[in-house]
Amino acid sequence: MADTESTQEGAAEAELGRTLGARFASSFTLAILLSIVVVFTVLKGTTFFSLANFNNILLDTSQILMLSIAATFVIITAGIDLSVSSILILSAVIAAQSMIRFSGTPEQTAAYEFPNQHIGIPIGVVLGLVTGAICGLGNGLLITRLKLPPFIVTLGTLSVYLGIAQLLTGGTTVPGVPPAIQNDIGLRNLWPPGFLGIDFRLVPQIVIAFVIALIAGIVLSRTRFGRYTYAIGSNAAAARRVGINVDGHLLKVYTLSGFLSGIAGIFDLFRFGTASIGTHQLDNLASISAAVIGGTSLFGGIGAISGSVIGAFIPVVLRNGLVITGVPSFWQNVAIGIVLIVAVWLDQRRRSAEERM
Amino acid sequence: MVGEGCYPPAVRRLPAAIDEELHKGVDVTDLQRFRGMSRRDVLKAGTALGGGFVLFSAGYRPAADAQDKKFRIAFIQGVIGDNFYITMNCGAQAMAASLGNITVETQGPEKFDQTLQTPILNAVVQTKPDAIMMAPNDSKGMIEPIKAAIAAGVPVLCVDTTIDSDVQLADVSTDNVEGGRLAARGLADAIGKKGKVFVVNVQPGVSTTDQRGAGFKEEIAKFPDITFLGEEFCNNDANVAAQITAAKLQSDPDLAGIFGTNLFSAQGAAAGVREQGKTGVVKVVGFDAGPQQVQDLKGNVVDMLVAQHPGEIGEIAVQLLDQFLKTGQPIEPKKYVTGTTLVTRENLDTPESQAALYVADCSNYKLTGVKPTPAEAAATPSA
Repeated sequence: MADTESTQEGAAEAELGRTLGARFASSFTLAILLSIVVVFTVLKGTTFFSLANFNNILLDTSQILMLSIAATFVIITAGIDLSVSSILILSAVIAAQSMIRFSGTPEQTAAYEFPNQHIGIPIGVVLGLVTGAICGLGNGLLITRLKLPPFIVTLGTLSVYLGIAQLLTGGTTVPGVPPAIQNDIGLRNLWPPGFLGIDFRLVPQIVIAFVIALIAGIVLSRTRFGRYTYAIGSNAAAARRVGINVDGHLLKVYTLSGFLSGIAGIFDLFRFGTASIGTHQLDNLASISAAVIGGTSLFGGIGAISGSVIGAFIPVVLRNGLVITGVPSFWQNVAIGIVLIVAVWLDQRRRSAEERM
Repeated sequence: MVGEGCYPPAVRRLPAAIDEELHKGVDVTDLQRFRGMSRRDVLKAGTALGGGFVLFSAGYRPAADAQDKKFRIAFIQGVIGDNFYITMNCGAQAMAASLGNITVETQGPEKFDQTLQTPILNAVVQTKPDAIMMAPNDSKGMIEPIKAAIAAGVPVLCVDTTIDSDVQLADVSTDNVEGGRLAARGLADAIGKKGKVFVVNVQPGVSTTDQRGAGFKEEIAKFPDITFLGEEFCNNDANVAAQITAAKLQSDPDLAGIFGTNLFSAQGAAAGVREQGKTGVVKVVGFDAGPQQVQDLKGNVVDMLVAQHPGEIGEIAVQLLDQFLKTGQPIEPKKYVTGTTLVTRENLDTPESQAALYVADCSNYKLTGVKPTPAEAAATPSA
């Protein structure tokens, strides 16, 4: 047993070298992000480069950041999760509906009174997160038990989970969510007034997102869970041979992906006070591209959370800056697409140059 | 006209933030800011519009007095690339150019999605426009983002769609109930005031299409020989609309007419009719009059269209904001509606119908010079 353990560690340690490459990549993508910031600052000055606008950017990024972290774990195992956008919506819907259900009698909640919301809201949040995790577990079970490609499974569940959300809501926005989830939680400013002499709007969503990013970064780069993730993505057969429970680990990774999507779903309630069906439809691709811009390889085995964090910021900062600059909307799409391609291309060139050395 | 006679005097207290922003307007640095950007923006608006409305400009230009300050309005569309919002933008631009003191800058999300629209709204607020006119993507979800914009000192007026709140300056939208009634009258005429009809609607809970369905139902009940078979929902998917229509034609082969409450509902309904070989036998009324819908009308896919007047929505919004920015008085009343026009193959070439069609770019847009009509005034049923 001890022997197997050490072999496992050995195989996993070998993978660690690859993560160093990814870590280096993230400093390169950081340079791209910073140059985008510099360009907009030169163009628009403090209209772009202001505390209030950075607040906007942080808030806009926090949701896609959750999905990007999920994508990073999944893609490093050489998998993919297309269903995150539907899990997000389904989690938000279940959370919203449970909050209403447990916050008072049907008569009370219909009259927009929520006497038990101090119980209802936590129950809703927990059920929303549990929903996310269960959806992810479902993906993992289909992938490992039926031996189906993750692309197919999550493409299918993308539709299934959205369909369930539509069934639960009749296809519309969930009305009558207790407003406290938004007013007392989502919009609460955690920044002490006048702290450090600045007026920052630090809402829980931003804090949660970045704390989770930090934890995810540590888990991926410093723990056995992280090393197994890399090992499976590099060579699943080898990982199996050295005794890693590949199927068990994949289950955990897809469950994690669903759970993180569930958090992003709760963020919707924080920010908008409603769960809306017609939203987030492109978030799955956005999260994958954030991970890839950040240096995660679609073939597995390579990637880092730090890169994905930067990768999540790049499109958000671009969109924000282009709107402020007054660039017409269609040109914004062209510009964002080009920057994504160029960022990945430059990164790959650098990487292949390194390999030749 | 506003502020006289039937309009009650402004009594509502403005939120402090707006108040502050308004009074800030006289500040010297602000004046410089306006002056600094005016030339480029006027030029931009001018190029976009072509020379067509220049003739109108002279008539609408207010006297150059102390109030003749430059204002910058940001227009956030419901979704980009939609002829409805493009036409609304043309109306806003044309009215801005004719007033002379206003520039309109336009942005919008690529999908009708509050999570895409909110970052755009926030970024626009950073540029500190004097006011925002926008089509909110969600009546509940956009409340807080709009409140945040107002708290940052930028007043917001809602066009087309709205929010379930009263923080916005005013609402300007199509009278969708009347649009539904117009569809019912048109369809009744087309089928000789007898037979079975039904409605293909988008999805429950969408306020505009719900109102169209309700108006249709209400008006169609006035025809004793017409049987209303109820409404079905297609989730804004033409394929589903076609399936529903095909099924309906199986259960009721003598169906006489269908009202599709938006583009995909009508196109799908028409496809279902065509697949059953009933084109021309079953009359289809669509909503909106973009290039695609007009092509469908010409190609016998649909038989008539209820055209909204998005250009007028844009024109009215800019006029209301102009008044608000000049006087600082809250806009009263707070709801304004625009009409609808029934476009058929027969009347398509009339100037009235041509004017109702949506445009793909502003060079084809002619300023209508419409005046704001409060919702109460329009509520009286028309003949």
